Amino acid sequence: MKTTFKEEDNFFVMYFEGRLDTAASAQTEEEMKPLYDCSGHDIILDCTNLEYISSSGLRLFLGLLKTAKPKGSHVYIRGINEDLRQVFAMTGFINLFEFK
Amino acid sequence: MQYQRHITLPNDVQATTELGMFVEEVCENVGFDMGTTFKLNLAIEEAVVNVMSYAYPAGTKGDVDIDAEANDEQLKFIISDSGTPFDPTKQGEVDTTLSAEERGIGGLGIHLIRQIMDTINYERVDGKNVLTLRKKLTKNL
Repeated sequence: MKTTFKEEDNFFVMYFEGRLDTAASAQTEEEMKPLYDCSGHDIILDCTNLEYISSSGLRLFLGLLKTAKPKGSHVYIRGINEDLRQVFAMTGFINLFEFK
Repeated sequence: MQYQRHITLPNDVQATTELGMFVEEVCENVGFDMGTTFKLNLAIEEAVVNVMSYAYPAGTKGDVDIDAEANDEQLKFIISDSGTPFDPTKQGEVDTTLSAEERGIGGLGIHLIRQIMDTINYERVDGKNVLTLRKKLTKNL
């Protein structure tokens, strides 16, 4: 699992690559910390190269959303594949996030 | 067709990557497509992580056994441990219609297992927790 953080046109963008399983979630949680300091920025979670996510990864996304929303920041999910989209649908996360 | 595979993992969530490879091999052998394999991977990971995280007191070592059995009709995963008695099927449903502010972070694992598997059965047998998850072979998701 690899993440890359970039600032693009005032967006905070994090690129996810690989499998976000429970084994990867603790390290990914650390790597997502810069996103929490998002006042004045919207966030894009780019999942184009994310192959897999389990509930521990979904919790990280929800935790970020719960922090970002009160600061007025939007959290967009970009580029999820069909398998991931179905996981977002099964958990109702499809209604919580905005999609690009 | 009769097919059986077994793996024993420690109660360490780092082993979920090895578990993923095990589930993928099983699914490939029974002929599931990639989408169904993805979902089974998820359901089994959630069930096993539950055991790894909660069956044994913090800081103590314990094992979780996973048996995969397939015949022409179904694929069955039997997940067992010798830890504290715990029936995950008794956990309440999560409300997936709540807003982000209202959503808690728990309960997603069992919810995903219920969505993906055809049946979930818990038994306490000879001091072990035994969770059996079944998927009909005719039904790709």
